[in-house]
Amino acid sequence: MDEFHYRVPWRSGSAHPGHHKSRAPGGGYEFHGHTSLLDAGDPRHLDIRASLSDPFGEFKVRQFLQTSIIPVMIVADLSASMAIASKPALLGRIAASIAYSAHRTGDPCGFAGIADGGRPELFHSPRRHRALGLTLARQIAAFRFHGGGPAPDIDPVSWLGHRRALVFLLSDFHFPLERLESILERLHPHDVVPVAVWLRAEWTPPRRWGLAHLQDPESGKRQTLLLHPGSGRRLASAFERRRGRIAALCRQYGRPPFFVVDSYQPEALSRYFLETCA
Amino acid sequence: MPAIAFAQPWWLLALPLALLPWWRQGGEKSPCPALSWLEPDRASARLAWLWRLAGSGFLLALVLALAAPYLKEQKIARLGRGAHIVLTIDRSSSMNENFSGRYMGGLAKESKSAAARRLLLDFVNQRKQDLFSVVSFSTAPIHVLSLTQDHQAVKAAIAAIGLRGRGVTNIAPGLAMALEAFRNRPLTGARVILLVSDGGARIDPDTQERLRQGFQDLEVGLYWIYLRNRRSVSVLHPPERNLSETRAPELFLHRYFQTLQVPYQVFEADNPESLARAIATIGALENRPLRYFEIVPRQDISQTAFAIALLFAVPLLLWYALETGRWFRRG
Repeated sequence: MDEFHYRVPWRSGSAHPGHHKSRAPGGGYEFHGHTSLLDAGDPRHLDIRASLSDPFGEFKVRQFLQTSIIPVMIVADLSASMAIASKPALLGRIAASIAYSAHRTGDPCGFAGIADGGRPELFHSPRRHRALGLTLARQIAAFRFHGGGPAPDIDPVSWLGHRRALVFLLSDFHFPLERLESILERLHPHDVVPVAVWLRAEWTPPRRWGLAHLQDPESGKRQTLLLHPGSGRRLASAFERRRGRIAALCRQYGRPPFFVVDSYQPEALSRYFLETCA
Repeated sequence: MPAIAFAQPWWLLALPLALLPWWRQGGEKSPCPALSWLEPDRASARLAWLWRLAGSGFLLALVLALAAPYLKEQKIARLGRGAHIVLTIDRSSSMNENFSGRYMGGLAKESKSAAARRLLLDFVNQRKQDLFSVVSFSTAPIHVLSLTQDHQAVKAAIAAIGLRGRGVTNIAPGLAMALEAFRNRPLTGARVILLVSDGGARIDPDTQERLRQGFQDLEVGLYWIYLRNRRSVSVLHPPERNLSETRAPELFLHRYFQTLQVPYQVFEADNPESLARAIATIGALENRPLRYFEIVPRQDISQTAFAIALLFAVPLLLWYALETGRWFRRG
């Protein structure tokens, strides 16, 4: 099982001890300030210098912030477009890796797989679920991908609550950018990590010359594409432009997207968190 | 524009099949989710449109070809130089002889009928624009061919006349039948009866009168190629005495023809060479403008339709050769 390390640049509001910086005072290492011994009595943290310099002669104790848990939520696009080639396996692997890493970090982890509309069809509420990764890999492999992807009016509150969470948004983002914007808007109180699952084959023609009959699995739209030596380059540049647009949009909502192309490397995801939460 | 009709019109019920390419496209479809945002490729779209067109055209041409289209029989007005010529050919048994009067003898060169046939064939070959009709006669006349432009048929008819002749020379009914060829036809060019015979026969006065009436009414010119053998009488240089209608009917026939008051000329041919000269002279004489209708027979054009279908099929084959099949390997 692939494990990566994640961190968030914000403080957890949770009182449960965990791995992330928190607003809750408690037994951590992060100095928060001084307080009266009478208010928060932990004589082990008595600060003699602060007590002596207190004009009122009170005993001052140091106060620390504990580290707490953050809820982790995987929101996965289970639409028909994710069914092509090895994408389901890749998706399962990423979801399992996230669930496992969350478990290793000690955070509760949930899963909401949306095939069509706003309601999750594959759902695990965020809780400590030791084997969620294994379950997810199995369930995604068995899932029949269908539908047109998450609707713009998804309602994350009903399955995620109001408390700020780390949300992994797994999709190929092969839907209109307006819809992505709306979804990001809906998810906004949370820390959304867009994970784009792409395959190199999507922009690599199988032959130098040929005719490919393409069909959008979601809308049923058809197109015939003449393949010539230049068409691979054109496709690649089209995907490159698309990538730039998705990145620009996601950046507006807090984080750049993380692109998984063909293979998933957990180290890359760890590095992503290091880079974005410096 | 000739009218097109179909021999098997039921096949036309399959015509809606031509819409098939616009409805669906064969071939294995590859899922491509990115299609929702990829800008469409103009060249490919145009190509796909061409494919639909070719597919449609192919099916259309094929169905039309199966319906066996044909051009209806049509009349084409033509203007040419030449004449309407009725070849009136003697097939009596004397035509089997050669010019020296021998019957298929050892010294015989070719028989009169064979020489006449050969030269008439040449004549027909030279006069491409003439309309010919063929009447043969011996004891009774035989209507062989009405006036036609179809030279192949004319030549076949002339060739058939060269077979063994029988019976006697009975000119009057033959001429009457030849005249009938012109009756009830518009006068659109020179009319000529080319009488080829090796002798004459007495024509009774009633018939003479009727024939004269016919020649004058129908404005028919007469050319008589008299295949004379050495022993019979010459009409151009008749002997001074001993003339009677039984001994020299040809001479009296000649005189009767001269009274017809229509263009008349006799050619005395006593050997194949002079016969050839006679025919050449006639060829030079009758070259007046000629208006006629050519009848083009019904013409099967399904071959053309099949060819068009093939024309459409070639790009389709190319298309199918180019098809890539699945884009993604099954994951």
